[in-house]
Amino acid sequence: MSTIRRRDFVKLAGAATALGAAGFPMLSLGAATARVVVVGGGFAGAIAAKYTKLYAPEAEVTLIEKDKEYISCPFSNEVLSGERDIKSLTFNYSALGKRGVKVVNDEVVELDPAKKTLKTRGGKTFQADFLVVAPGIAFQWGAIPGYDEAASEKMPHAWKAGPQTLLLKKQIAAMKDGDVAIIAAPANPFRCPPGPYERAAQIAHYLKHHGKAKSKVLILDAKDKFSKQGLFMAGWKHNYGDMIEWKSGAEGGKVEAVDPKTMTVTTEFEEYKAAVVNVIPPQKVGPIAEKAGLTDAKGWCPIESASFESKKAKGVYVIGDACVAGAMPKSAYAANTQAKVAAANIAAAILGTKLPKPAYTNTCYSLIAPDYGISVAGVYTIGAEGTIVEVQGAGGVSAADLSIEGRKREAVYGISWYKNITRDTFG
Amino acid sequence: MYNNKLIGALVAGALLGSASALARVNDGAVVSNTCNGCHGTNGASVGAAPVIGGLPEAYLASTMASYKDGTRFATVMGRVARGYDQGQFLDMARFFAAQPWVSSNVKGDAKLVEKGKQLHAASGCAGCHGANGIAAVPTFPRIAGQAADYLYFQMQDYRDPKKAIPPAAMPMRGMLSPLSDDDVRALAAFYASAK
Repeated sequence: MSTIRRRDFVKLAGAATALGAAGFPMLSLGAATARVVVVGGGFAGAIAAKYTKLYAPEAEVTLIEKDKEYISCPFSNEVLSGERDIKSLTFNYSALGKRGVKVVNDEVVELDPAKKTLKTRGGKTFQADFLVVAPGIAFQWGAIPGYDEAASEKMPHAWKAGPQTLLLKKQIAAMKDGDVAIIAAPANPFRCPPGPYERAAQIAHYLKHHGKAKSKVLILDAKDKFSKQGLFMAGWKHNYGDMIEWKSGAEGGKVEAVDPKTMTVTTEFEEYKAAVVNVIPPQKVGPIAEKAGLTDAKGWCPIESASFESKKAKGVYVIGDACVAGAMPKSAYAANTQAKVAAANIAAAILGTKLPKPAYTNTCYSLIAPDYGISVAGVYTIGAEGTIVEVQGAGGVSAADLSIEGRKREAVYGISWYKNITRDTFG
Repeated sequence: MYNNKLIGALVAGALLGSASALARVNDGAVVSNTCNGCHGTNGASVGAAPVIGGLPEAYLASTMASYKDGTRFATVMGRVARGYDQGQFLDMARFFAAQPWVSSNVKGDAKLVEKGKQLHAASGCAGCHGANGIAAVPTFPRIAGQAADYLYFQMQDYRDPKKAIPPAAMPMRGMLSPLSDDDVRALAAFYASAK
């Protein structure tokens, strides 16, 4: 490599681009040695690693993820109802390894977006030519007075699946008939917008079928409306009668403080005591993105709509829940298609081919009961102002007048969605 | 000074890389890969959603178009299809038709499969869909190894006069209407397990 002089490279580039390629940004490195490092192995990062390798097998793709196993948030509400166990939500990275992705089990503690260098807790250093940052979310501890990490051991968030999910499940199982479970839902933006409302249904499902039909689930919300609202409310009623109550922000639903010692939740007008309090706290980007200076004034990562390249650093791509993706929600499917756009752009840059036209979608199912599913879909494009917007006339939620048989069909397709998206990600 | 052999290898590599990349990283592949979250990598679904990798190109394109214009009933696909134009449908159809067919690999209940086999023989399905669910001409989609739940739902829609189905599928309505719900389940189980 180093024996080739620059002017020879120009000749080489000319030969390569004769095929119609747009440029030769990586040719000076040699396509065979382009180094792509992905930080974070969730629904965004794992897909970015896999599809970069599919698009550009010549690239050296490294995935750095702190956990050996990934426990998915999608479908973790079903663990609460007992319809699913946590093992069915647990995935590893061996299939990505077989696809040629170098999987490093370590945590990135330093990231220099300008130099594209990384350091891990384990003391390893990495140099990337392209960097993909997919750190997901972290919690704003203390944003709700009284709710810090220690409080989450009594009032679980269960918004990252794993021990927290099992803790909440245990608490729900210990409820007496007539006890109340509170879900404190955050303001936008947050991970998985329909999640709190599906959770209410899954908790009610458990209570209804375990001799606790006099119990209630009370959602105290910071918002005045929520994802798939009409469908959720109709579905709650159909399946659980009056077991689920939703209090909007305007009705005083916003939680202003909690006290885990007394299991008290304080809102603007009232104080509630409950057997179970599930606090879904306000969220922020995974700390490494903030530390690396990839965030904007609002604390999330601004990106170029066509490529997911950071607006803060060239050659650095931010995908998934951490990025600001216009109208796209912070969902697994959104992350999946964002990662593929980033992967295609990186591959095109490595191989010197034309940058592809981006395509992104979201499809997200919520299970209100095992045989009652609802969905939201969105197809996205770049709008007049350069941000990602929904294609007009497409997308939206399930038909309001869909038959019961249709809802059952959506439940079946929801489970299918889970099988396929996790296989696409970790298979 | 440089090494001629190395440069030769590099040029070949760069050309090869670019050529294969042109085949891989293009607008068609990028738009098609958005489908994989529900339909599996390369359209090889492992769930109730249909396998689409390896289906005939014309069938895929017309199916997307009929979802878009509402002439085919759907729970979600209408909402998705309305986000794309005809050119994108053709891109998706070309992409997925070029993928290998991977059967959903579901073993149905043996009795149900056997009942389905007899119904398959008696109902004249083979006339279009082939002796074992693989049509001789690409006008008709492969149904051998297709997802059982999808086949069941689809046949239910064909039987249901309230559901929209494309004109090309109209003969299915007549053929399936004499069958019971259990019969349709059995047929779905048979085709899903067929190879």
